[in-house]
Amino acid sequence: MTGPVDFHDYVEGFLAEADEHLGSAGKHLIELDRAARGGQSHPRAVRELFRSLHTIKGLAAMVGVEPIVDVAHEMESLLRAADRAGGRLPAPAVDVLMQGIRAIEERVTQLARKQPVTPAPPKLVAALSALVASPPAGAGGAAPRFGLPAEVDAKLAASEREQIAQGIRGGRRVVLLEFVPAPDKAERGLNITAVRERLSALGELVKVVPRSVATAPGSLVFSLVLVTSAENQTLAQALESEPEAVVALTLDAPAAPDAPDDSDPVVEADDTPAHAHGYVRVDIARLDDALEKLSALVVTRFRLGRAVADLTARGADTRALDVIVGEVTRQLRDLRGAIMRARMMSLAEMLQRVPLLVRGLTRNTDKAVALSIQVGDAELDKGVAEQLFPALVHLIRNAVDHAIEPREERRQQGKPEEGQISIVCDSLSGTHLTLTVTDDGRGIDGERVARKARQPVPRTDEQLLELIAMPGLSTRDEASRISGRGMGVDIVKRTADSLGGSLSLQTSPGRGTSFTLRVPLSVTIVDTFSFVAGAQKFVAPVAMVEEIIVVDASRIAHAPAPDRGRPAPDRAAPEWAALVAPVAAMIERRGQAMPLVSLATLLRLPGRAASPDSGKALVVRLTGRHRGEPIAYGIDRVLGQQEVVIRPLEDPLVRRVGVTGATDLGDGQPTLVLDLVALGAALFSQARADS
Amino acid sequence: MSTLHVMFLVGDSGYLIPAESVLYMESFTGATLVPGAAPFVVGLVQIRRRVVPVVDLRIRFGLPPAAPSLGQRVIVVQVSERVVGLLVDSAREVVHVPADKIEPPPEIISGQSAGFVRAVAPVNGRLAMLIDLDKVIGPDPVAPDIEPGFVKETVHAQ
Repeated sequence: MTGPVDFHDYVEGFLAEADEHLGSAGKHLIELDRAARGGQSHPRAVRELFRSLHTIKGLAAMVGVEPIVDVAHEMESLLRAADRAGGRLPAPAVDVLMQGIRAIEERVTQLARKQPVTPAPPKLVAALSALVASPPAGAGGAAPRFGLPAEVDAKLAASEREQIAQGIRGGRRVVLLEFVPAPDKAERGLNITAVRERLSALGELVKVVPRSVATAPGSLVFSLVLVTSAENQTLAQALESEPEAVVALTLDAPAAPDAPDDSDPVVEADDTPAHAHGYVRVDIARLDDALEKLSALVVTRFRLGRAVADLTARGADTRALDVIVGEVTRQLRDLRGAIMRARMMSLAEMLQRVPLLVRGLTRNTDKAVALSIQVGDAELDKGVAEQLFPALVHLIRNAVDHAIEPREERRQQGKPEEGQISIVCDSLSGTHLTLTVTDDGRGIDGERVARKARQPVPRTDEQLLELIAMPGLSTRDEASRISGRGMGVDIVKRTADSLGGSLSLQTSPGRGTSFTLRVPLSVTIVDTFSFVAGAQKFVAPVAMVEEIIVVDASRIAHAPAPDRGRPAPDRAAPEWAALVAPVAAMIERRGQAMPLVSLATLLRLPGRAASPDSGKALVVRLTGRHRGEPIAYGIDRVLGQQEVVIRPLEDPLVRRVGVTGATDLGDGQPTLVLDLVALGAALFSQARADS
Repeated sequence: MSTLHVMFLVGDSGYLIPAESVLYMESFTGATLVPGAAPFVVGLVQIRRRVVPVVDLRIRFGLPPAAPSLGQRVIVVQVSERVVGLLVDSAREVVHVPADKIEPPPEIISGQSAGFVRAVAPVNGRLAMLIDLDKVIGPDPVAPDIEPGFVKETVHAQ
């Protein structure tokens, strides 16, 4: 007898899978939307969308969530009809399908929150079935023919015909290939599966028809129809046959109604198959568990290293042991890398749903928004992505709702009617990535925000960010409406902080705004330098430290600091800004003056006042708005380099800018992990506000 | 009806917290200072592979800091999602407190103690105070709600 625990396992699995399929459904719906607006059909997107919904329906039925089954079923019927009509969907149908996706998403969320799932909205179901009843216009007309063998031609569905016709009209080649399976080919691994894979890599495989042919070795021949841009030679190689065997198809149907040089062509998604083989879906908690066990192993390795060092100090010959410890270290690093890679997901995948979101936000408004996403192939930890995504959604929502002006207003200001929103990723440091959301909207009017918040007018963008991130401000409706911002910025900032990252802002009234989120790629194991400053041990990621320099006291220039005598700010001040000490010294490095700050003074560590005149300094280069600025942190001494498991500090009592988390160096005491880049940014911002 | 409470001393007064919110009690051997944290946060300690922020109740309750002593304990409590340590002068007893003996504090006391004292109950012939954990580990009630750093700087510049 299985208990409710099993059921919960199902629900977990359902949630994970539903999420993925909703993501790809959204993507294909956007493609369909573009096609529908250009008066084109998009058979492949219709089929992919159908497949996603079919899977969602099946999964929902398994866990018994009827409302999702109902909505998915109607959507599926509509898509089946569209598929029969050659992949053509009227624009209103796309809207209804979007509502359907949203309705499913809402119900998935309810399920995830263990709330009761609301029944399928009757209006939506009715709208969907009404669309099924009235087949879309434009689907009529004689089916195009391509001079295919009758056996193959008979097997083509309307949507496949449309796909072929579109390929030819779009200037691509459509070819007919034959593959004759044979035992000797099978021995070389050349079977129909391999052929499918090879051809899929070369183009769009439209149809595979097996035919029985008495003359063939196995009495079987496969006819394959492919839309491609590849040469006959290449295609023949894939099948290990002769180039002459490739037959190009022509369109002998009446000319296409839509102009071939349509300026808004259907954008094809990447050609990777939706259901790739060899993937395993793993609950992130299991990977966390593996990492947790690995982290225990890393601590044990420290202790082993220390024990060996003790032996060496006592004069024992430990060369063989040293080699083994070195090997273990390397192997642990490899193992860590392997687990971390398993946890990584692509940023592009995370952002897959953003176009749908933007479209949903601009619907029923008089705004037009062009979205550009340039994130390359950056990857980040799934755990980070899960926290980051809602924050990003807040930023995008703000940009669409408040920053981008209506068409008319933009025209009056001489701006293009279509607003621009871009999401750009920069993963320069190897430990962190930055995501910048930029709009060309109205910008944030600092004076008005300040007036509404009854606060002094901010003088810099940092101050403005602090103001709009005030938790109280978001509830003041008028302030957020007039300022065009303020909604949820506190949440975005808190997310960045809790991930050990930061949020920064650049705005220019009338011209636009950019928000930059800087977050670590992962929050787990990092290669670090350990060092002493004041009387306290710290670690900082190696990737952040450009250089460790020896500070020569005779080369330090102490700048005047007339304010140094002023009372120290309250240690309880809410942000680092008030904590940051004035920059008191400079040091020459490669012909340039670089600020030198004693870390102990900066962090107001108790104990002896460490002077930056002695010891070492860690040189860090800043990112974000102070990008490229170097800064040297004076420390007492470097202890070593080691991989540490970072535990993020989540409690508000100890969540501070510049402190990423804590780690165990094997002594049973937590050691703080410092984000020297964020600390430097706080220092620079403070300096700017002071000057 | 009586409920189990952990009793501890801060200064010479007795305090109570429900035993069900206590995860562990450990001796105190020092904490890692977190720069920028509130003065009443002594720092971080590591307890059973967990990194826990510790609030010094002497400072939180307005007493001068004490010299380290063997009697000091860190009581690790769980309040909804948060896990926080409370540094106290000593903690030895687990007591049964009859529900009908628990009373609200006199009004003048709740005002003075910033709501830290939720109720009082007699234990071994002396009054002990039930503390409001949410308030004690929450944001500092005497600090201004929001005062971004730059506001101070602006004032300073004028």
